[in-house]
Amino acid sequence: MAGLALKNIQKTYGEVEVIKGVNLSIEDGEFVVFVGPSGCGKSTLLRMIAGLEDITSGDLYIGDRLCNTVEPRDRSIAMVFQSYALYPHMTVYDNVGFGLMLAKTPKDVRDQKIREAAKILKMEHLLDRKPGQLSGGQRQRVAIGRAIVRQPEVFLFDEPLSNLDAALRVDTRMEISKLHKTLGATMIYVTHDQVEAMTLADKIVVLDAGVVQQIGSPIELYQRPTNLFVAGFIGSPKMNFISVTVESVDGNAITVGGKDVQSLRVPAASEGIMIGDALTLGIRPHDLSPASDGAVVGRVSLVERLGNETIVNVELSSGASWLVVLDGDQAQRLGESLALAADPAKAILFDATGKALLRPA
Amino acid sequence: MTETPSSVPDAKQNKKRLPPSRGSRKTRLTAWLFIAPAFLAYATFVLVPLGMSLYYSFLRWDGIGEARFHGLTNYTTVLTDSDLLQIIGNAFQLVLYFTLIPVGLGLAVASAIRGQMNGRFGMATRTILFLPQVIPLVAAGIAWSWMFASTGLVNQALKAVGLSSWAKGWLGDFVWALPAVGIIGAWVLLGLCTMLLVTGITKIDASLYEAARLDGARPWHEFRYITLPGLRQEIGVCITVTVIAALASFDIVYISTQGGPGITTTVPGLEIYRLAFAHRQVGLASALAIVLMVLVLVSIAPVQWFTRDKK
Repeated sequence: MAGLALKNIQKTYGEVEVIKGVNLSIEDGEFVVFVGPSGCGKSTLLRMIAGLEDITSGDLYIGDRLCNTVEPRDRSIAMVFQSYALYPHMTVYDNVGFGLMLAKTPKDVRDQKIREAAKILKMEHLLDRKPGQLSGGQRQRVAIGRAIVRQPEVFLFDEPLSNLDAALRVDTRMEISKLHKTLGATMIYVTHDQVEAMTLADKIVVLDAGVVQQIGSPIELYQRPTNLFVAGFIGSPKMNFISVTVESVDGNAITVGGKDVQSLRVPAASEGIMIGDALTLGIRPHDLSPASDGAVVGRVSLVERLGNETIVNVELSSGASWLVVLDGDQAQRLGESLALAADPAKAILFDATGKALLRPA
Repeated sequence: MTETPSSVPDAKQNKKRLPPSRGSRKTRLTAWLFIAPAFLAYATFVLVPLGMSLYYSFLRWDGIGEARFHGLTNYTTVLTDSDLLQIIGNAFQLVLYFTLIPVGLGLAVASAIRGQMNGRFGMATRTILFLPQVIPLVAAGIAWSWMFASTGLVNQALKAVGLSSWAKGWLGDFVWALPAVGIIGAWVLLGLCTMLLVTGITKIDASLYEAARLDGARPWHEFRYITLPGLRQEIGVCITVTVIAALASFDIVYISTQGGPGITTTVPGLEIYRLAFAHRQVGLASALAIVLMVLVLVSIAPVQWFTRDKK
C-alpha cells in the first residue's frame, strides 16, 4: 500500500485551464473523496492520477515514486469506472482475471485469486456469466472484483454508483466502505453526491472550477466550511444564506441584522469587520426551529413530508427562500406565518469575498 | 396417487378445440397484404430467375432453338472439366486478395485512427480510403490497367527504385495477372471495409481501452481482446461482402484482362457470360451459375455462424 502526493498539479486543454495547481497529500490507507459539481475537474484529476490523462505541470508521487510519465499499467493502481467498463465478450471469471492473465500469473494462482475476490464480493455464482447477463449492482461488484484481484496500492473509483438505483446505491456504498476496512488500501473516490462523500470519506477534497476549495474530514467540512461554496455544497438540504449588515462588533462575536433577520449575535472572527459592513449569514436547515419570538419570520410556501422529518420551504419578506428541517409530525400549512429561531453558535458569517469568518477551533 | 385438478385447463386441448377467431383471420390477412408487395418483387427478381436458372441447368439449349432435357450432364461437366475447375479455383484465389487485404488493412487503419476519429486527420483518412468505393468499377479497372501496363506507373516506380528486372506487363503475365487483378479488387473494397470497421470501432466503449491499459494491456492486447471481439459483426459483414465480390466478380476482370492470359484470370461470372452469350450453352452456363451460388452460400455460412451475435 502507498500514499500519494500531488504537488501543484495543473492540467490545460489548449488555452483552457481545468486543474489549477492542486496540492494534496493522501496518507497510506486513507479513503479520500473528491467532490464537487459537474465540470469541476474531479474526474480529470482522478484520471491524471490513473495515468489516463497527461499532467501539464506539477508532480505526482505514488509512494515515493514520481509517476508523471509512468504508464498506467506500471502505477500499481486499479480503477472502477462509472460505466463499469467490463469486457462484454468475456465471462465474469475472465473479466476479473484479465489483468492477472496479462501479467502472466500462473493459472492456479490466478484461479485462487479470482475465487477469493469473488468470495469477498459474494459473486461466486456469477463467475460463468457474461456482463450482459448481470444487473447494474452485480456489474459494479465485478468491476470492483477486477480491481481488488490485482492487489494494487491505490484504488480509484470514478462515480461508481451513479448508474445504480437509490436503494442499490446505499447497499453498494456500504459494501465499498466495508471493503476499505477489510483491505486497508488507499482509496480515492470521485462523486458529485455529497452524501456519498460524507458517509465514505476519511478526508474530503472539495473542488470547484479546478481549484481545491477545502480539504478536511466530513464533520470539519460540515461544521467549519471555509467559504460560501463549501458551505453551500456540503450538507443536505443545503445551507440557507441571506445578506445581513453588521450592527455591532466585539472581540468574539458579530451582531448582524437585516430585512429578514432581527439582531443575531454570531460567534465569529471579527478582525477587520466594521459596523455597517455587508456580510452573508449562513444557517443550516437543521439548526432552525419554530419559535414565536424567532429572529427570522416568513411564510410557508412548500411542505415536503418525508416521514421521519418534514422539510418546510419558507419565503421571507425579501423574497429569499429558506429551508427548515423539522420533526416528521410537524403540521405546518401552506401560507401560514412561521417564526424561526436560529442557534447562533451554529450560524456562520461570510465576508464580501465569500470567506467564512470562523473563530480558531 | 396424484390427481390432476379438474379446474386446471389443458392448454393443448383448448388450442385444438378453439376455432380461429375472425379477428385473428383478419390480422393474418392484413399481414399478408403488407408482405405482398415486397414478396412479389422478391419473387419476380430473385425466385423466378433462380427457378428458371435451375430449370435451364438441366437442359441442353442454345437459347434460341429447341431445348432438350440433359439430366445432370451439365453439372457433371462443371465438376469434372479441368478448365471450369481452374476457373472456380481462380475465384477462390481472388478471395485471398479481395477479403484478406481490405479486412486486414481496414482493421489496421480503424485501430490506428481510433483516437483521432473526430479530428481532421481521421476525417481525411476516412474520405481518402472511401474514395475507391465511389469510383465506377469500369473506371477503376481501366485506370489500374494503365498502371499495370508495361510503361505504367507500377513499372516506372519499380525502375525508379532500381528494380527494373521486376518490371513486366503485369496483367499479361501468366503468374502475376491474377494477383494483379486481386490487387485491383482489394483497392476497390478497402474503402468499404474501412468505413464499416471505422464506424464499428466508434461503438466500442472507450473506457474498455482505458480499463485494459490499467489492467496492463499493451496495444496488441487492446487489439486482440477489445477491438477484434468488438468488431466481430462488422468483420462478418466485411468478409461476407468481399467473399461474394470475389466469387461473383465480373466487371473488374472483364475490363482489366478479359479473363486472360489464357484462362488464368477467368472467373465463374465471366465464364457464365461467355458460355451463355458467346458459346450459346445456356444449360451449362446455368449449371455453373447454380454451382457458383452454392459455393457462395457454403463459403458464407461459416462466416455468418462465427460472427453471429452471441447473447
